[in-house]
Amino acid sequence: MHQQTSETFDQNAREALADVQLRGALRNLATTFGGRRKEAIATVEDWEGLRDRARAAKDETLAHLDKYLEQFADNAERAGAQIHWGRDGAEACRIVLELIRARGASKVVKSKSMATEEIHLNHALEAEGLAPVETDLGEWIIQLAHETPSHIVVPAIHKSKRQIAELFAEKVGIEPTDDVAVLTGAARRILRRQFAEAEVGISGVNFGVAETGTILILENEGNARLTTSLPRTHIAVMGIEKVIPRFTDLDVFLKLLPRSGTGQRLTAYQSLITGTKRRPEDEGPEELHIVLMDNGRSRMLSHPVTRQSLACIRCGACLNACPVYQQVGGHAYGSVYPGPIGAVITPQLSGLKPAAQLPYASSLCGACREVCPVKIDIPELLLHLRAEVTEGTAAGTAAQHGPVKQRPLERFAFGLYARAWSSPTLYLLGARVARLLQGVVVRKGRIGKVGGLLAKLAPPLAAWTEWRDAPPLAPRTFREQWRDGQYREGN
Amino acid sequence: MFEAIRGHLAASAPHDAVRAAHHAAAAHGEDVSAREEKRATVVFEGTAVERFKQALEAVAGKCFVVRDEAAASEVLRRIAEQRDSQRVAVTDSKLAGRVLKLAALRSEVLENAAVESLFECDLGVTGARWGVAETGTLVIESDAERNRLASLVPAAHVALVEARNVRHTLGEVLQAINERGEGGLSRAITFITGPSRTSDIELTLAIGVHGPAELYVVVIEGEGNG
Amino acid sequence: MRVSLFITCLVDQLWPSVGASAVEVLRRAGCEVVFDERQTCCGQPAFNTGYRNEARRLARRFIEIFEEGGADYVVSPSGSCTAMAHHFHELFAEDERWRRRAEALAARTYEFGAFLVNVLKVEDVGASFKGRVTWHDACHGLRDLGLREEPRRLIRGVRGAEFVELPNADACCGFGGTFSVKYPEISVAILDNKIDAIEKAGVRAVVSGDASCLMQIGGRLTRNNSQVRTMHLAELLASRE
Repeated sequence: MHQQTSETFDQNAREALADVQLRGALRNLATTFGGRRKEAIATVEDWEGLRDRARAAKDETLAHLDKYLEQFADNAERAGAQIHWGRDGAEACRIVLELIRARGASKVVKSKSMATEEIHLNHALEAEGLAPVETDLGEWIIQLAHETPSHIVVPAIHKSKRQIAELFAEKVGIEPTDDVAVLTGAARRILRRQFAEAEVGISGVNFGVAETGTILILENEGNARLTTSLPRTHIAVMGIEKVIPRFTDLDVFLKLLPRSGTGQRLTAYQSLITGTKRRPEDEGPEELHIVLMDNGRSRMLSHPVTRQSLACIRCGACLNACPVYQQVGGHAYGSVYPGPIGAVITPQLSGLKPAAQLPYASSLCGACREVCPVKIDIPELLLHLRAEVTEGTAAGTAAQHGPVKQRPLERFAFGLYARAWSSPTLYLLGARVARLLQGVVVRKGRIGKVGGLLAKLAPPLAAWTEWRDAPPLAPRTFREQWRDGQYREGN
Repeated sequence: MFEAIRGHLAASAPHDAVRAAHHAAAAHGEDVSAREEKRATVVFEGTAVERFKQALEAVAGKCFVVRDEAAASEVLRRIAEQRDSQRVAVTDSKLAGRVLKLAALRSEVLENAAVESLFECDLGVTGARWGVAETGTLVIESDAERNRLASLVPAAHVALVEARNVRHTLGEVLQAINERGEGGLSRAITFITGPSRTSDIELTLAIGVHGPAELYVVVIEGEGNG
Repeated sequence: MRVSLFITCLVDQLWPSVGASAVEVLRRAGCEVVFDERQTCCGQPAFNTGYRNEARRLARRFIEIFEEGGADYVVSPSGSCTAMAHHFHELFAEDERWRRRAEALAARTYEFGAFLVNVLKVEDVGASFKGRVTWHDACHGLRDLGLREEPRRLIRGVRGAEFVELPNADACCGFGGTFSVKYPEISVAILDNKIDAIEKAGVRAVVSGDASCLMQIGGRLTRNNSQVRTMHLAELLASRE
């Protein structure tokens, strides 16, 4: 298999489509999470109202992000946390690394965090001789297999039970088994030792409350609670967009996030952490470090369309609902964030040039927007980015990777279309010429598979007819019929 | 970083103005683009405690509603005996202390277990500041009790909560915490809804990953006698 | 009531019979139907591929043409093209005059089925059809325009037709404009879920409100030599069998 990057999305997708096991797993995901989500949202009275309130809270924060970030940082520091600022991924990684080194620590445990995936923190730490241990079951599986997450909520969804059993047999020496409870039990046993010895715990953050300086972490397994309670030092890596204004805003987000993500009314655990312990005899870490990370986020503030991307609460509902994700899975996107939200944030975070295919990897059906708990208009964002691709206007990111590669033939075709179809005469002439020519390919009233020279001359026609018939042009257009008087009243 | 944020927000201002103008002009009814089909809503009728029990049991927790602390200690003793509990970790919750004393367990009880011994405990006993009826959630606060890892590390967790502290919604609890004002916020507040779980392997539910596989909540209806 | 028909390039060139049906149904419902022969395309293919200048050129033309003629409403047998007209304002962010014109036109531009149910308040247009039919929700009609109940009510009003709901009727058919030829393998993989559902439904016809979805679904059905036919909502409502 080739190296899967965003640049090879088309190739990645074809490989994924041929993977029978993967497609079964994706079907299971769409049905299970899709169904659970529907049941869960029926348990709240005014789902639409909740979504509006959540979006309003996010919009308010983002419009004054400087103010709320400052307030958050001040309040967290007052409660005993130490705040660090990471302008990009490299700086955030460096901060974490230096914190670990300064404490002479070597045993590091991690709970699941997309922010740390985004900046490839594990690689950065491993390059310096550290061996951070992922403790979320899915993340641990991925780490053992040297793979990357294929979903932002269930990272190992692409792997079968059997593959995981074989992996465990090879890496941790347990008997292969079909029993998920046994596999889970093995993870519990092995990771407990890591927890007991850990000196530093690294977590992500789901929400940061400006008013109180509180960070909130949601989870189901209990590993995030252990990661943030047992080690002496807790480092939380947090994107700057995770801030919300008020403590009571948590109510609406806690109603939306679990229901949208896993279809739960609430995940098993929420940890609300405000600073460090106040009495030495209390349990919990002695130090809390919060690394606030930009890494391309502030750039998204510069337009209301792109700014929406920062409202995302990483529930994964758009992945589960997306017809494209349902067919090709997460790895095809070649980026940390897959699916519809990945297709819009990856090009903004890592540059449009290497990810120029992603905004096109969508049928624009809008299922993502329909399920999004904060009403991000992902189709609108996709179209915005498509325009940036063709116009080469990707603000900020162009400097990083050079301008986006243009498609001169496509541009020519659309230019011709706009010019010719601005004239009814040319439009009709085009239709007549095409009607004359189509005799070559029309058989029994339809256009079957087109091959040979014609396929080379008209690649879109070849792509269409490979698996689908195309309808022939009608002998007379509607406008010709109208002109002929066919629709005169009384006919 | 603040400079970058302010700069980008300023660049957005003219685009924001256009959006606002369009939304003001587009008076053609509600925004339908993101709406889903309306579905019936489940409405619960009954007391907060009944609702709590139903919600907790829906997420594989067990709930006992008892009259007083003596009855609570009976439940605790039964659970410890059934599980053949050897070592019990407990927080310094006053309520948990009283109930544990009444239960007079044969097991060894650790009130301030060090991490290593905590991993050897097979039962954890805690109080809870609140219960949330709509979700079957327990709320444990660091200002109210210490050694809260008793609720996480042992394979089974028994939590004791007074019925008068069971509220209908999470919103009510968040509001109550918030109303205490600055300084009233515990360093660590933990919401617990059912036993530890994962669906990371083929979305198959497995109970008891890193936290307890069994969660028992004893709701005490009568007034506490402490 | 005077209605200006926005036929769409797809219907104009591939299925003029859909246009004929739309005219017949609208007239039956009491409308005066006019057709401006200068119209071509709404520019959606360019807009959706990222070519905004090209889309803007066609949008301006579209607005100018449909502002004239004194029609009360613009009606189109396509949710997708109607939705495009509702998106025109996005092309004129920096030109307030054109933006206002785009907004004013969008406010009186309706998808065919929605126009019947929501403006004319008609659900029974006197149609009849023999056999079992099902409905595919075209994405833009459903999610950009919010049309879920309107087409179903109209189908239920057709005498003789037995309506069955398709499982996941609101799932995309995989067309997506240029997506269908940029990523044909993914497009067809999505489509095959739809085809499976249609075949299992045991219907005589699958009905939808967009010619583009019908081209995608129909192209696969005929390739598979299926007995199921595709039908535009306008054709079903014009049917008198």
